[in-house]
Amino acid sequence: MQLFPLKLVTVVGEAVIMEDIAEEAVKLGASGYSLTEIHGHGSRSARNVIISSGSKTLKAEFVVPMDVAEKILTHVSHTYFEHYACIAWLSDVQVMRGEAYLVK
Amino acid sequence: MTPSSLAVMCDHVPAVLAAFDSAQISRILNSLGQNLLTPIPLCFLLGIICTRIHGGIKIPKELYLSIAIFLLMSIGFIGGHELAHEYQAHGVATIWKPALVTLLLGCVTPITSFVVLRYLGGFSIADAAGIAAHYGSTSAVTYAVANSFVEQTGHAANSYLPTLVTILECPGIAIALVIGAALSARERAEKAAASGRPVKESKLGEALYEVITGQSIMLMAGLLVIGFISTIFMPEKGLEPFLEFFKSKGMLFRGVLCIFLLEMGLVAGEKLGDLLKVGPFLVTFGILMPLIHGFLGVYLGHLAGLNLGGCTVFGAIVSSASYIAAPPAVRLTLPEANPTLSITAALAITFPFNIAFGIPIYFEMAKWVGAT
Repeated sequence: MQLFPLKLVTVVGEAVIMEDIAEEAVKLGASGYSLTEIHGHGSRSARNVIISSGSKTLKAEFVVPMDVAEKILTHVSHTYFEHYACIAWLSDVQVMRGEAYLVK
Repeated sequence: MTPSSLAVMCDHVPAVLAAFDSAQISRILNSLGQNLLTPIPLCFLLGIICTRIHGGIKIPKELYLSIAIFLLMSIGFIGGHELAHEYQAHGVATIWKPALVTLLLGCVTPITSFVVLRYLGGFSIADAAGIAAHYGSTSAVTYAVANSFVEQTGHAANSYLPTLVTILECPGIAIALVIGAALSARERAEKAAASGRPVKESKLGEALYEVITGQSIMLMAGLLVIGFISTIFMPEKGLEPFLEFFKSKGMLFRGVLCIFLLEMGLVAGEKLGDLLKVGPFLVTFGILMPLIHGFLGVYLGHLAGLNLGGCTVFGAIVSSASYIAAPPAVRLTLPEANPTLSITAALAITFPFNIAFGIPIYFEMAKWVGAT
């Protein structure tokens, strides 16, 4: 079994901005993304508004190489952290079929 | 916000009250009683009580979203059907004036709201414009409740009111967001220059596109066109099952409206806790502004030829604030605006006020201006 060492970028934020973030991450080099509706509470979650799908908070996940992860995190922090309820983190992951994430 | 600005707003209350004599006040109280003791506002009240005492009512999100779709489709379809009858009987002669008044009020209400909030209330540009966007637009649920109220009183509104709801939905949001984006652009540029980062591009166009192509407009306007076309081209017999399913006087519409209001009560109950955070000016604004806009709607609606029920419903929709289409649009365009202010004002102050007190007051206002 071959595993590829890659990075998992996770962004949790207001539903109203998360689709934009996902699309912008693809432009920055991510090969795809997963969006999941989540529930919870945070220091700024009172700011979240409900979008037409009924979602309030979404989680976006991107499996990417380190250089793309840095670009996504920099972009998200510069563009969204000031005014939106949003948090991002980076994890190490071992991915099967990881070659698909390296080719861009 | 300053104490003097609050006093200026409150000074207008006696003048408005003085315009009504004791008989009129007693009629208003009677209408209030008739309205409050019906299932729709009582379900809303149950939702609020349940949330406040941490009760166990939970409406599944999918059911709530499905009901919203049904209500919008129903309002649109029946509106289109009635509009077709109106068109066949009178052409556009009876519709163009109310449509023009709707467009005018759609442009005026966000501006009056912005001016009051910015210059009397002392709110920031973004907050004032954000709240104004909510008050410039309308609430389809308030329309549905007001329409049920006038049908119960035996004064059905003019058939083309759903068309007016659709017209009213967009301009208010657009105007307030343009004002907010234009006035705060300089502040943003200065901030960007100080931080050395590039100026963030405005998402105004994207936000307005999402309002226009959002669920409310697409379903209501889409079904309005479908209802109109099918009424003109389909035989009456073939149309019957659809009318039976969608009709606003029907069992299904009234029943699901109760479930929807129960959910709205649950959400409004959560927001009641934010009333202390938003301050007395916004609470006063959330009650007085709808009364002023409602009166404008009733009066201009009467001048445009609406009947008693029509003036009442028109007053209700002009006075109401959007809490579905406006919040995401404001969040995208004016991210520095605090959504707690606008959503609390629209959902926890103006919506309950209109459901419980506003609609019967607009009904009496309509009688007062001479609507029949």
